[in-house]
Amino acid sequence: MDFLGEGLRRAFALLLGGDAEVSGVVLLTLKVAVTATLIACAFGLPLGFFLATRPFWGRRAAFTLVNTALAFPTVVTGLLLFGLLSRRGPLGGVGWLYTWQAIALGDVCIALPIAAALSAAAVQGVDPRIRRTAQTLGASAWRTAWAVAREARFALAAVITAAFGHVIAEIGSAMMVGGNIRGSTRTLTTAIALYTGQGDFGLALALGVILLVLALLVNIALQVLQGQGHA
Amino acid sequence: MLELVGVRHRYAARVVLDLDRFAIPPGALIAMVGPNGSGKSTLLRLLALLERPSEGEVRLDGKAVSGGPAHVRPGTAARRRVTLVEQRPILLQGTVRDNIGFGLRARGMRRAEVNRLIEQVAARLGVTPLLERRRHELSEGEVQRVAVARALAVEPQVLLLDEPVSSADRAAAQTLYAALREERSRRPLAICLASHQLEDAYRWADDVRALAEGKLSPVTPENLFRVELPQTGAGDLKHVRVGTIEIAAMTDKTGPAILAVPPTDILVSREPLASSARNAFRGRVTRLARQRPGAVHVTADVGVELVAVVTEEAARDLQLTPGSPVVLAFKANAVRVF
Repeated sequence: MDFLGEGLRRAFALLLGGDAEVSGVVLLTLKVAVTATLIACAFGLPLGFFLATRPFWGRRAAFTLVNTALAFPTVVTGLLLFGLLSRRGPLGGVGWLYTWQAIALGDVCIALPIAAALSAAAVQGVDPRIRRTAQTLGASAWRTAWAVAREARFALAAVITAAFGHVIAEIGSAMMVGGNIRGSTRTLTTAIALYTGQGDFGLALALGVILLVLALLVNIALQVLQGQGHA
Repeated sequence: MLELVGVRHRYAARVVLDLDRFAIPPGALIAMVGPNGSGKSTLLRLLALLERPSEGEVRLDGKAVSGGPAHVRPGTAARRRVTLVEQRPILLQGTVRDNIGFGLRARGMRRAEVNRLIEQVAARLGVTPLLERRRHELSEGEVQRVAVARALAVEPQVLLLDEPVSSADRAAAQTLYAALREERSRRPLAICLASHQLEDAYRWADDVRALAEGKLSPVTPENLFRVELPQTGAGDLKHVRVGTIEIAAMTDKTGPAILAVPPTDILVSREPLASSARNAFRGRVTRLARQRPGAVHVTADVGVELVAVVTEEAARDLQLTPGSPVVLAFKANAVRVF
């Protein structure tokens, strides 16, 4: 058990000492996670709203597709993306393989179904009278959607948190398309995997603690947001 | 003119509304009455363009605005002419002020104008003290009044009200109806309200229509009974149990049906009369109401409640008062079955 205590001591020393490499990894992780979450939610939330509110042919199949995508292994997402972005792949010309953009793209693919499926569930949970009320008062489709979204705001905030949580903790895709290059594409999760493999348990644990703190901060932010809301 | 034409509306495979035509002319004051599940709320939602009919169409000034062969999707412009207040209305996020102003802001009105109209309509509905409250701080009756204020604020041509005073006490109901009267005196406004209270319907509406099992009743809305018609009977004469009495009716139908006895076809007397009427029931007067000049609605308990309409003069001659013993009689042929 000594190695665990030693690891924790090292973790706090690194955190308090402001290690440059650790700071770089944290900043890159945040950049990738925030970018991917924003893009995934920008498309996923309207998609979820559409699925929840618009009857159309094939709607059930679309729901099944989105729900299946929720369980898609991230490493397979990374593998497919690797094929697309590799030099011989159809998107090879973009030159994104082993860049932070590739990691963000993989994270978008992972977070999009989460945002769509969970927001659809959140919108379906809103009292249908809210939508009817907005419509009968002459609201446009956008204003009606906004009224419904306001009603589901806590659930939608939780959707964003869940998407962010998945993205920041994701490793399979990031490892495949990012390559875990020091100072370039090394994120918290890929760094933890690497340092653990190298036997540098202290550093790995320090990064793990930072990951937990980031997750905690996001949840606190959500709690604050919920506390400010009124019925 | 808002109208439903050839509408058959289904939920899953079940037909919940079946109307050849239902029209609300400009400025009309219509009351829809009928038991729970008769299709009143569905009818109002179709009229409010919140649902598209499975078959048939909704027309506004002769133009199809929902459904029909072209499967028209209701647009915002058409919806802005018709507003529905649901039986259990819900307030949107924000204060009562935000709620009343919602439809006005949706129409792109300037803030000052919105505030002016909010104050006006709130005063008319007596909800000014509630303006800064949120929905969880209101009673059901207050929510209902705010919902009506919110609907009136957008000045629709047709206002649809689903049981508008179901959660209101007598005073609140009076305020509400007074506000509706005032609104109608200010501008042309057609109102169609659904109610299960006949007295309210007669008091407030020019035209009372009954809905049963999704169909318009061919007779006035009193004395409607859901029955099971027996297979057996002497020819087409069937004896149908309704509550504790048996009503004789002429019909070739069997199975589930609605049985209606027009109040004007019921003969009221103090003693049984020797007549051809196959139905004669003793009972006591429970209520007398003068809903139209010269006509008295006599409600009597004869095992079930039956309503008969007599003239003022007949009521006076028979010395009818609540508690008076009476005999109600009507012919088997007078009973409508649908």
